[in-house]
Amino acid sequence: MNPANYLLLSGVLFTIGTVGVLLRRNAIVVFMSVELMLNAVNLSLVTFSRLKGTLDGQVIAFFVMVVAAAEVVVGLAIIVTIFRTRRSASVDDANLLKY
Amino acid sequence: MISHLASASSTAVAAGDIKLPSISYSALSPILVVFGVACLGVLLEGFLPSRLRPQVQPVVAVLGFAAALGCVVSLAGTHELTAANAVAIDGPALFIEGTLVLFGMVSVLMFAERKADPDGGALVADAASLPGQGTHRLAARNSQTEAYPLMVFAVAGMMLFAAADNLLVMFVALEILSLPLYLLSGLARRRRLLSQEAALKYFLLGAFSSAFFLYGIAMLYGYSGTVSLQGIAVSSGLLGKTDFFLYLGLGLLGIGLLFKIGAVPFHAWTPDVYQGAPTPVTAFMSAATKIAAFGALLRVLYVSFAPTQWDWRPVVWLFAILTMVVGAIVAITQRDVKRLLAYSTIAHSGFILVGVAAATQNGISSSIFYLLAYGFTSLGAFAVVMLVRSGDGEANDLGQWQGLARRSPLLAGTFAFLLFALAGIPLTSGFTGKFVVFSAAIGGNATFLVVVALVTSAIAAFFYVKIVVLMFFQEPRAEGPVVVRGSVLTYAAVGVGIAVTLMLGIYPQPVLDLAREAAQFGFVS
Amino acid sequence: MPPAAPVQYLPATGVFSATWLLVLFPLIGAAVLLLGGRYTNKWGPYLGVLTPCLSFVFALFLWMAMIGRSGDSREISSTLWTWIPVNGFHVDVGYLIDPLSMTFVLLITGVGGLIHIYSLGYMAHDERIRLFFGYMNLFVASMLILVLANDYLVLYVGWEGVGLASYLLISFWYFKPEAATAGKKAFVMNRVGDVGLSLAIMTMFWAFGQTNFAAVFGGIGGAGSGVALALTLLLLLGACGKSGQFPLQAWLPDAMTGPTPVSALIHAATMVTAGVYLIARSATIYNASQDGRTAVLLVGAITLMIGAIIGCAYDDIKKVLAYSTVSQIGYMVLATGLGTAGYALGIAHLLSHGFFKSTMFLSAGSVMEGMEDTTDMRRFGALTKAMSVTHITFLCGYLAIIGIPPFSGFWTKDAIIEAAWDKGGTSGTLLAITGIVGAGFTAFYMTRLMSMTFWSKSRWRETFRPHDAPKVMLVPMGILAAGALCVGGILVIGRLLQNWLVPSVGEYTEGVRAVNPWLMSTITLIVVLFGVAGGVQGFVRRPVPTTAPVPVSPLVMAARHDLYDNAFNEAVLMRPGQWATRVLVFFDNRGVDGLVNGLAAFIGGTSGALRKLQTGFVRSYAVGILGGAVVALGALLLLRAA
Repeated sequence: MNPANYLLLSGVLFTIGTVGVLLRRNAIVVFMSVELMLNAVNLSLVTFSRLKGTLDGQVIAFFVMVVAAAEVVVGLAIIVTIFRTRRSASVDDANLLKY
Repeated sequence: MISHLASASSTAVAAGDIKLPSISYSALSPILVVFGVACLGVLLEGFLPSRLRPQVQPVVAVLGFAAALGCVVSLAGTHELTAANAVAIDGPALFIEGTLVLFGMVSVLMFAERKADPDGGALVADAASLPGQGTHRLAARNSQTEAYPLMVFAVAGMMLFAAADNLLVMFVALEILSLPLYLLSGLARRRRLLSQEAALKYFLLGAFSSAFFLYGIAMLYGYSGTVSLQGIAVSSGLLGKTDFFLYLGLGLLGIGLLFKIGAVPFHAWTPDVYQGAPTPVTAFMSAATKIAAFGALLRVLYVSFAPTQWDWRPVVWLFAILTMVVGAIVAITQRDVKRLLAYSTIAHSGFILVGVAAATQNGISSSIFYLLAYGFTSLGAFAVVMLVRSGDGEANDLGQWQGLARRSPLLAGTFAFLLFALAGIPLTSGFTGKFVVFSAAIGGNATFLVVVALVTSAIAAFFYVKIVVLMFFQEPRAEGPVVVRGSVLTYAAVGVGIAVTLMLGIYPQPVLDLAREAAQFGFVS
Repeated sequence: MPPAAPVQYLPATGVFSATWLLVLFPLIGAAVLLLGGRYTNKWGPYLGVLTPCLSFVFALFLWMAMIGRSGDSREISSTLWTWIPVNGFHVDVGYLIDPLSMTFVLLITGVGGLIHIYSLGYMAHDERIRLFFGYMNLFVASMLILVLANDYLVLYVGWEGVGLASYLLISFWYFKPEAATAGKKAFVMNRVGDVGLSLAIMTMFWAFGQTNFAAVFGGIGGAGSGVALALTLLLLLGACGKSGQFPLQAWLPDAMTGPTPVSALIHAATMVTAGVYLIARSATIYNASQDGRTAVLLVGAITLMIGAIIGCAYDDIKKVLAYSTVSQIGYMVLATGLGTAGYALGIAHLLSHGFFKSTMFLSAGSVMEGMEDTTDMRRFGALTKAMSVTHITFLCGYLAIIGIPPFSGFWTKDAIIEAAWDKGGTSGTLLAITGIVGAGFTAFYMTRLMSMTFWSKSRWRETFRPHDAPKVMLVPMGILAAGALCVGGILVIGRLLQNWLVPSVGEYTEGVRAVNPWLMSTITLIVVLFGVAGGVQGFVRRPVPTTAPVPVSPLVMAARHDLYDNAFNEAVLMRPGQWATRVLVFFDNRGVDGLVNGLAAFIGGTSGALRKLQTGFVRSYAVGILGGAVVALGALLLLRAA
């Protein structure tokens, strides 16, 4: 299969992730959309690795996974804390800071 | 274009012999020391009795920073790539590392302030518990000492961020510096809801923008087959290659960097987070994050994209203008002092982008000088904010600052001086910084940008002076602020801010020379 | 005019390399007193007195060292550090010490030191005395920076510094509404002058690429007459603001609401003469423009008359002295406008004025101290016995200012009048006549002041117990009075000062129309005596009248008309002034302010609108980021295509 298709798929996934961030209200889902964006990037990296014939892309993908995992820890901690005080995970509810 | 890539698909991926890269530990020593201190801080957190932690942690952090500073000084003049060309220890990197370590020291002083708030410190005792719950009350006099190792980790990440010569390392460093900051933003003792909201917003938007950053890395990798900055520079200089991925990559990468800088329109998090985060954290972010992010931006643009500077410079112009104008204009109608300083920080980012747009050696030296000067002024200003309080925490509403000079002329005078520095009045570091940045931009044929910058400086001066007028020439309100007596730590932070601001205004030559030497050495390439 | 030679200053050696100590002492004093807070309350004032005295002692050393050098090696300049070194442009912070600055340093620290001592007594009962000395030290330091600078930009720093100190000191008693207003007025009118100076500096930067004296003076010869004229006029505007010259004189009398030592030091002896210093220092520039000098002459002559006429009209002792200052500085400015024939004479009059005017201010302060802070001369009278020492010192100042030989004013003022005559032509004649008439007015209003205060019948309330001031005030008054009597003679006889100042302001040149100096002096003296006679006639020989008596001479009539009616002043000077002010204010409100306010409203509106974009919703921020990303990528890809 033409590797370019993987790049297109990656682009589509990234877009879906972006749209998810923009449209979904639940903080957890927003966060999952970000994860989707990261994984779309991983797909691109692996594809490019294949295209370029170097291993760098695959190695980077592993790094990205580790970083994403760290991000999950921090992100969930923050989301859980705010959920406990607000009793809501909607990102639209948190808008005391404005203007 | 995509079919062009497909032709390479048949190339086999070969593992090849893996050689261990040589690592120059001495060149990396400042970064390693700070990382080590951060890990030590985590260990102390685990093994030290809780009553000792508030005393020990800041001392360890300051000592660690001092050791790192010693390493930076001893490395002066180093110019090398190490760790498989992943980290560049060169003039700008060392200058920024040294500055970061100094910012770290001053910030620790503010983190450790425990007298200003009657309950002890600006940081919450137990971030996880709800207000009013038992643990909260038990821990009332305590504070979250995890903040120190978190902050040291952030400094380490920033140092690596500015020295990274490889996009992967840069990404990892970006996360190392960001993750602790997300957490720190949520640690304010007072106004918990605002603080948590700030953390949430910062986190979501930060993650969002780092996804763009990462996608940019993937595109650049796709273009050049490498993520080393030099490699990208080499391949971007080649003719005849289709450069769609190059520019896509640059744009996406730039978004991640401009987000950290707080450039418009990626700035929206800045006012909210600056307002909600604990003031010491805000101060730390305004000074340290900015210089690290600008360091990385300069390195990417000046190393990887030097051959294509005619294509990206107009874009930097655009964002510089947007940033200056929006930052200065929106600041005028702000009523919250931290929020106002946040918009001021945005405007300053715009001024520094003017220096970046110069794309000359003077662009580097003037930008890093400006960042150093601005950082100390900003630290001092936020330290003053910590001392002006009303019943339930800091008096952040500007109305409460009315007539502050009647209550405490010295503090009001100090703040006025720092504001004058931010406005760029002569004999303060702000003037020197603006002067060098603008003259670098003129030298780099960006005169129009300088004209815009001067006009926005004038607008910005308006709101700084407005606060001075408010403090000095208006009657204090009945419910006006109380200026609390902080411990010597905060006074020291204010003092350092004032001293550096004054020194760089009157006698900037040594530091200017230092910045110029650092820039003359340039980026390793 | 001979072409300007490249200006070379000698590098500082020996004791001169420590010239900066002069500034450092009062600067430290100011820093300690202003930052030290109430901890320094106890000993602060003494430190405040000590620092200018230390500077004075050191200045004496420098002076000795300078006398020891030959005439052409007395201009010493050194760079302390480079302030902003960028891309070939740099401002060096350094100092220039030459006979001119040396003279000023001695005046500032000497008279300043004495006035500091006097203030110990005068301000003794003020609870903010420490703050007062802090500001005074700040003033001395700034003034020294001003006169020691070797670069117009550094001079400007001192210029603004003295402006700030003056503002702080005028409104020192800020709880009095008129003090606060006067402070603001001084501040605003000084700004007008400052704009002139800053524009001059920008012009220099534009024309010469640098702003240090050596570069500017070296380049002025080749810069064309347009640049020279612009510089002279802009510098003159600066001088007018600082020195209370027409049309910016109005702030100076109001500034008298400050404590009296401030009036003596800042608004009589030193700061207000900074304008004269500026012109003398820029002699090379003024030599290059005949038209510029004419403007200076005009300003000097007009101010001289305005000050002298209004001086006749006021009943407030300090305001009379203030207008007298305005008038006397008019003489100095007129002298500097005469070019090489006059610079040194202007400085000579400046020095003798520094002595006699500060003597009179301090004596006036002593009178006020004895009269429970009254300044209205109608409440004085018959104080000769009660305040015998004050009367004597005041008398010394009086004799000096009206120019009775052989006292100071006789030498310095007559020299100016004579030089004006020597200028030749109709203009020379007119200027000399103005000077002589001004001298007559001076004699009249000063006699009036003396009469109403000391010699006429008592008009003060029974409860007052007039008495001489304490010794700490009398001693400085005595020293200054002695100076007032003899300084002028010492400086002018044998052209001592002219020769001393040659390295700074150039060789003294005779005018084209020489006149027998004795003839000129005699004429002047006769006019002065007429003035005195008028004053005596009106205020000693009869009680201070309530209705206008039959005039004795046209001169006295005019002056009396001022005195009793003020209509003349108002019609001729104040009304047009007010009218002009109103017109200006109108234009300022409608035009400049309208523009500024409109702009501010526009920016504020934009700000309010942009603010609304910050909705607080994290998702809308993400839209912003995405939008920015689209713009960035679009722009990059478009540029690539282009």
